Amino acid sequence: MHLLNLILQTSSFGVFTSSRLFFPLRLPATFSFALQIFPSRSTISFSHYNIHKTMASGLVTKRAKYKTTIKDPGTPGHLRMTLEKILFMPHNPKSAGKLDVEFRYIKGQKHTKEGSNKPPWLNLTNNQNGSFIFEFENYSDLQDCRDFVGKVLAKSGEVSEKPTVAYPDEQLSAAEMELRIKLLQEDSELQKLHKQFVLSGVLTEAEFWATRKKLLDREASKKMKQRLGFKSAMVSDIKPSTDGRTNKVTFNLTPEIILQIFAEKPAVHRAFLSYVPNKMSERNFWTKYFRAEYLHSTKNSIAAAAEAAEDEELAVFLKQDDILASEARKKIRRVDPTLDMEADEGDDYTHLPDHGIFRDGNKEMTESQNELYKRTLSQDINRHAAVVLEGRAVDAEFEDTKAVAEALAQSKRESSNKGESDGDTSRERLDRLSRMTEIEDLQGSNNLPLAPLCIKDPRDYFDSQQANALRTSGDALGGTEQIKCSLSILEVYSSLRESISSIKAMGWKEPIVKPEAAHQVFDALTNSISNTKHNIGKNPQESVLDRLPRKTKEELLHIWTSILELLKHFWASYPITTSYLYAKVNRLKDAMSNIYPQLEEIKGSVPSEFRHQVSLLVRPMHQALDAAIQHYEASMQKRSTQSGEKPNGYV
Amino acid sequence: MKFLIEDVTVYFPYDHIYPEQYSYMIELKRALDAKGHCLLEMPTGTGKTIALLSLITSYSFSRPHTPIKLIYCTRTVHEMEKTLAELTLLHNYQVKHLGPQARILAIGLSSRKNLCVNPTVVASENRDSVDAGCRKLTASWVRAMAAENPDVPTCEFFENYEKAASAAVLPPGVYTLQELRAFGKQKGWCPYFLARHMVQVANVVVYSYQYLLDPKVAGIISKEMQKESVVVFDEAHNIDNVCIEALSVSIRRQTLEGATRNLSRISQEIDGFKATDASRLRTEYNRLVEGLALRGNLPIADNWLSNPALPDDILKEAVPGNIRKAEHFLHVLRRLVQYLSGRLDTENVEKESPVGFVASISSHAGIDQKTLKFCYDRLHSLMLTLEITDTDEFLHIQTICDFATLVGTYGRGFSIIIEPFDERMPSIPDPILQLSCHDASLAIKPVFERFQSVVITSGTLSPIDLFPRLLDFHPVVSRSFKMSLTRDCICPMVLTRGSDQLPVSTKFDMRSDPGVVRNYGKLLLEMVSVVPDGIVCFFVSYSYMDGIINTWNDTGILKDIMQHKLVFIETQDVVETTLALDNYRRACDCGRGAVFFSVARGKVAEGIDFDRHYGRLVIMFGVPFQYTLSKLEYLRDTFQIKEGDFLTFDALQRQAAQCVGRVIRSKADYGMMIFADKRYSQHDKRSKLPSWILSHLQDANLNLSTDMALHIAREFLRKMAQPYDKTGSSDRKTLLSQEDLEKMGDGSMHEMLY
Repeated sequence: MHLLNLILQTSSFGVFTSSRLFFPLRLPATFSFALQIFPSRSTISFSHYNIHKTMASGLVTKRAKYKTTIKDPGTPGHLRMTLEKILFMPHNPKSAGKLDVEFRYIKGQKHTKEGSNKPPWLNLTNNQNGSFIFEFENYSDLQDCRDFVGKVLAKSGEVSEKPTVAYPDEQLSAAEMELRIKLLQEDSELQKLHKQFVLSGVLTEAEFWATRKKLLDREASKKMKQRLGFKSAMVSDIKPSTDGRTNKVTFNLTPEIILQIFAEKPAVHRAFLSYVPNKMSERNFWTKYFRAEYLHSTKNSIAAAAEAAEDEELAVFLKQDDILASEARKKIRRVDPTLDMEADEGDDYTHLPDHGIFRDGNKEMTESQNELYKRTLSQDINRHAAVVLEGRAVDAEFEDTKAVAEALAQSKRESSNKGESDGDTSRERLDRLSRMTEIEDLQGSNNLPLAPLCIKDPRDYFDSQQANALRTSGDALGGTEQIKCSLSILEVYSSLRESISSIKAMGWKEPIVKPEAAHQVFDALTNSISNTKHNIGKNPQESVLDRLPRKTKEELLHIWTSILELLKHFWASYPITTSYLYAKVNRLKDAMSNIYPQLEEIKGSVPSEFRHQVSLLVRPMHQALDAAIQHYEASMQKRSTQSGEKPNGYV
Repeated sequence: MKFLIEDVTVYFPYDHIYPEQYSYMIELKRALDAKGHCLLEMPTGTGKTIALLSLITSYSFSRPHTPIKLIYCTRTVHEMEKTLAELTLLHNYQVKHLGPQARILAIGLSSRKNLCVNPTVVASENRDSVDAGCRKLTASWVRAMAAENPDVPTCEFFENYEKAASAAVLPPGVYTLQELRAFGKQKGWCPYFLARHMVQVANVVVYSYQYLLDPKVAGIISKEMQKESVVVFDEAHNIDNVCIEALSVSIRRQTLEGATRNLSRISQEIDGFKATDASRLRTEYNRLVEGLALRGNLPIADNWLSNPALPDDILKEAVPGNIRKAEHFLHVLRRLVQYLSGRLDTENVEKESPVGFVASISSHAGIDQKTLKFCYDRLHSLMLTLEITDTDEFLHIQTICDFATLVGTYGRGFSIIIEPFDERMPSIPDPILQLSCHDASLAIKPVFERFQSVVITSGTLSPIDLFPRLLDFHPVVSRSFKMSLTRDCICPMVLTRGSDQLPVSTKFDMRSDPGVVRNYGKLLLEMVSVVPDGIVCFFVSYSYMDGIINTWNDTGILKDIMQHKLVFIETQDVVETTLALDNYRRACDCGRGAVFFSVARGKVAEGIDFDRHYGRLVIMFGVPFQYTLSKLEYLRDTFQIKEGDFLTFDALQRQAAQCVGRVIRSKADYGMMIFADKRYSQHDKRSKLPSWILSHLQDANLNLSTDMALHIAREFLRKMAQPYDKTGSSDRKTLLSQEDLEKMGDGSMHEMLY
């Protein structure tokens, strides 16, 4: 199963990382190169979603009754679910209700709702339209099992791609499941909350997502994934490290770097595929590569030519990349015709060889022999930028160079096939051309397609933005400018009257609010928002949070978001109309009261110089929680007085 | 929108029009009425091209009995594509509103390389090999041979085109090069010859300057254009250089070596023909006696570049007797090559007039002026007689004959300069013999004489009285328009000091100073972190750019720049530069942002627009001076133009303005430009900048350091991000609707504008 594989892999990564391949090599120069190839150092972050406590063990055991039909009184026993199977062992080993079904035969599940007057039943349908019904002792058991089954089905759905029957309530399709996992992976904050509340049972899966429907919708509709690009830095910027004592130079290579080298230098990629491991070892390959890079960096094309003549493998790295040249010829046909300078050569009769007047730079030094081994920095920079712009063709993470090379080759084949079959490019080119030629303000604008921005850590992003805004607005105002912000009622009234009468007289004006005024208000707001956070600190650049110890800051922020999450659910549960909501409120209240000691603990743990500030920060949290609990108690009281009058089924 | 200018109804494809465009059209219409030449300057970003196309097509519709043909000349193929795209937009609009009578035929014409659809031919690398490849399949003798022997390969597209004969026509419409190719492929006709044929009947022809100005090309492409044509030279601020280069030749060692090889190949061919088909050579001799250097009507596919001298200067007389015989002609060429190679063995820079040079050839090599003059046509005739199809191999000898003909034809306006080495690398002998033309009016003269109206237009033609003198013509209308801006959307700055307050300059004694290089780097680094989307940097030369980039790379500045934006660089390889530009645009489109490093006077600076988000900031590192002393002397002596004037005019008016002038596409667009050199703060230099830049150059921005420039840039960008009223304030409208135009007559229009 997919899940297990992931976990296994992760542990094996740990092993790999600790064992570095380290080999010193001798070279004719006074330097010697050593090479380290790290397996991917980036830690695999997998969703906590998957390690639900029940999931982590891959096992659920619950007391239940197994019923063959709804009417059947049921056989009491233990229901045991693993990732592969559903096992039912009756208490009485002699009774006939023993069951052993593999999950892949299960098509879907139905269950009774809490609050309805049915017992907690779980109905699993198999692919022969039969069904297994289990009656649990309570709803929480049902919930555990239901979630477990949901997840297992989602997983198996991925593999077999069987259309799962969509039930309006809780049944999740594989796609939805995946989407949720993806959302959690992308947003570390959400992931933390999910881990804290759903896994600890404060909120159910459904409740947690119910408040985030929008997130699910939007994500589902666009279904676009933002992929990680290449680094902006050039590969040649990877400086070797020296140990300072010997003349040994060590290059650190990660699959990331290797992928980038392959993408930027297709000839190296091809050489790798054909030479390694048959002709030379990977270590030798990279040693040769860096030797070539070293020669190249000396800018001595004569020496390079000499070495290349001796060693044909080395020559591959030193020569101009022929694959690039042929790719360039292909690409030039697809280039925007309004900047195709290559086409100009067709009409250019003044820059014929030996015609016209020589201008600066048009006179080239021709070293026909060594030209082959000359590569300019400009070429490298252009190539690098083009590759970065193109983005990664290969998405997955690899720990093995060979795998990197092959995946890249595969994706190249695909894209070249696609490129040939794709006839839309010329259409697209024409569209772009016509868009380019239009003069924008003489005609209404047409909307350009936008790539949505995906922000992994919202807090990080918006904090930095705010700091920027603060800085620039500070620039603009150039000091403290007092804005008169308290108006008497009379003043407000007269200004309102004035503007109404002016609208009456002149009609609506475009824009209604003057841009300057709007900008000023916006600035002031940004300032004041930032100030509430910053003004405790002396320096406006540095918020009070930043001065706290990092751990405390993290904790505080986390508790704050958890409180918000709880409060959101709490207030949304009122008015309480069902017993389900009642139970939920109780759960939430318990969770909230658990937060008090946590807050106290934080307050206690910080050094004394920060204590005051922390308590300032904690105060609003206390207030919010207090308000909620007060409301809870008040309503409880009300209920208990009312419950005497209303005995009809409300708990 | 639709409006009247005097008696002409103008169909304009947009809902609004700039007042400048309107008055531009009025002036243009007057020039057309007067059937004279005109010179119009209007800053970039005001939609010159569309105004011009709208008026001329509408003018033509309003006078259906005397239709005028529009010959629109662009400098480059990509500008041609851009013009055709605008024309497509206009044509669609006009057909929609005027019905079928608005249908016109408009085509772009380029060389075989850009139009050929035969996969085997077009696979060749450069134009000359494509031309030769085509000739190998389509020359009259090849086709005659193929008629007898089916194994001889021909081009099916050309054969189909020939078979279709007069039925091979293009239906009305606007055809870009790509559409021409698509049409040709679909019909199975050769698009190149089809286009060449349709040029005679098309209402609008868009092609390169050289198809009119360079006598070699004009002689075959444009010789049958009718007099009632309007010729437009767009972006004509460099037209004098194009004229000059069309008539200049340079010869190097390699040329002479190649020519020697060509000659021995020709002599082999002659021997071969003597043995097999001697009558052919005799026929040629007889023809030459009659004075026809070339048969009157060559089959269309046999044409090659015609005589480099202008048609009026070629005497219609018999070919001199001493070169009528093929062997004799070869001897003459051998002597000429030998003489030239002797002249290249010099150790000093030599300068000579053509008259002196001809006299010296005559005394040393025994070739007189008249013989020299006929060299080119004689060579052409010989190669046709010998049925040589791989003409791309014979470029060297062709160059020698070009040179001979030019030097034999013109006694003035030229000079011959021999330089023993490149001044930048004095240690490496690389002799070069240049025949440089100094008189731009020579090449353009026939155009002024032949066509009824010639319109020269550009964003920067000032001082506007210089061009009539440089090109020697008398315009009936000569106007310069100011741009009325809705808001201050141009922000020029002069940066004189770096972040450490030390002066920056590319002056010779300062340019390699590490402090200057570092300050330039710091400037760019600060700017990339502030300016969104695209930034363009211009350097004074390739070598300077290479040096500075290497230094930035070594000091890590480049890496820091890359943190903010992708970096693309113009190189001397056109393919690579084109791809880099394409990537640059994509990086700007997708929001990644990029920096483009380019060279003033380079190909990118000449013709690529960096408007809108493709160039929010242009940085000009240094002053792009050019020193060609011989040309300056000539200008001083002939046209009384002062050297210093011309130099600063050339460097600032044209090059600098050229580089920074392409950031604005419309009044809604905005951009900044930084002139990073302390010399720009001197009044005499600065005042030579185009007026539309000067008018936005505030005194406070004349002497900035990096941190001040950064502050101004931030402020400017914030200001530009605010919404504004596009039509301008009520007393000075910058955008007119149809209603506005109808409301005011001509009189009030003028009042409002000036």
